[in-house]
Amino acid sequence: MRFISTRHLLAFAALALAGLGGCATRPPADDPDALAEYHQTNDPVEPLNRTMYSVHQGLDEYLLRPVAVGYRAVVPTPVRMGLRNFLGNLRTPVVLANDILQGEPRRAGDTAGRFLVNSTLGIGGLIDVARDHFDLPPHNEDYGQTFATWGIGEGPYLFVPLIGPSNARDLVGFGIGIVADPFFWFGQGVVVEALGYSRVGATAVDTREGLIETLDDVQRTSLDPYATLRSGYRQRRAAEIGNRLDRRPGPVTPPAGAAPAR
Amino acid sequence: MTTIERRVVLAAALGLTVALPTAPAFAAIDAARAATFIQGTGTDLVGAINSSAPVQQRRERVAGLLRRAVDIESVGRFILGRFWRTATPAEQQEYTRLFEETLIHNLASRFGEYQGVKFTLGRSQANTEDDVMVSTTIERPNTAAFTLDWRVAEVGGQPRIIDMIAEGTSLRLTQRSEYASVIQRNNGQVSALLAAMRQQITQMRANER
Repeated sequence: MRFISTRHLLAFAALALAGLGGCATRPPADDPDALAEYHQTNDPVEPLNRTMYSVHQGLDEYLLRPVAVGYRAVVPTPVRMGLRNFLGNLRTPVVLANDILQGEPRRAGDTAGRFLVNSTLGIGGLIDVARDHFDLPPHNEDYGQTFATWGIGEGPYLFVPLIGPSNARDLVGFGIGIVADPFFWFGQGVVVEALGYSRVGATAVDTREGLIETLDDVQRTSLDPYATLRSGYRQRRAAEIGNRLDRRPGPVTPPAGAAPAR
Repeated sequence: MTTIERRVVLAAALGLTVALPTAPAFAAIDAARAATFIQGTGTDLVGAINSSAPVQQRRERVAGLLRRAVDIESVGRFILGRFWRTATPAEQQEYTRLFEETLIHNLASRFGEYQGVKFTLGRSQANTEDDVMVSTTIERPNTAAFTLDWRVAEVGGQPRIIDMIAEGTSLRLTQRSEYASVIQRNNGQVSALLAAMRQQITQMRANER
């Protein structure tokens, strides 16, 4: 996303590292439970993160969420699905690069196949023909996940306004994902520039629209939404890194009485 | 699982065995049996949610179903984690009661949005030695379908739900993090969590329709 420049990311990282917003107090060594929890939440700059979270919530309440809700209300579902497929297709080169960097030839083949099929039969990616007719469901990969499979730790948890929950590793991966995207370098001039910004805007609106229920739910049911998002993000990332989220429709377990499962 | 997590789980399991010396905590459970159990529980829950009975009656039905299907006490204890030990017996009792109510009212306050919900059983497989993960797909009108996994263990001879996992996120782990944060931000006072839970239940009641 170009409006969040690398310089901003660096500035934020520097701010976080300098601990200008204050650090969470590390519990004393004689309280092993508290210490274990401190390590488990992985949030040494929690006070700063909480401030960033309130900034983000303000933007979300008055800008991001209303736009997403309006988008859903005004644009009919098939058009929204088309746009989502289209944006997903634009992302496939980055997914492919990461499949390869992670040494996953089969998944790389799936991704390449998806790009070929959807860009042609799927009319430039508007229709996910690969998923619907070729048994090639999408999966998500990014540089943060690749770093993780290379054994790089996540670093401190970071909450970044407009981006949301992240960590040092994923944030760096996010930045690389932007500059390593072939479409980022494709052509120049006003039209290309405008298309680039449109893509950033469309991605932001589409992503937020897909999260309306989930985030409403967190705000409504959690006694501490910040902590819920932190835990949710870290668990979800672990599942993504372990490729546990993408599943092909599997055989249904027969109920008891029929042949034993497994 | 990190060593810390494993230790916490182990500690939780130990705590449970100590508390209930007569009953083994979790016995191994067969995948097909767990699938049948989720199929039955899911059908009952969907039936209760979609019925045209008044909301109070539906809530009572759902409450009964949840009490039978979910191992509420040990899940609640897992979620409170290390603070279970620092809580007074009165607080523990109050917490368990509030936790059960939260579970029930949380679902009851969504009857409206879950109208017309359907679920389909997917595959189920052994998760750890002691429990089975049963996968389901939840469909609601005009909303994208999503996958919900149920962790089922055998407790006291009966299959019971011990966790729900959506998009790689375990409900009980997330909730443990949430509750721990509330207590910590209130100087380690479990009573602060109880107060927050009470207030939340009042709010959820107001949303039941």
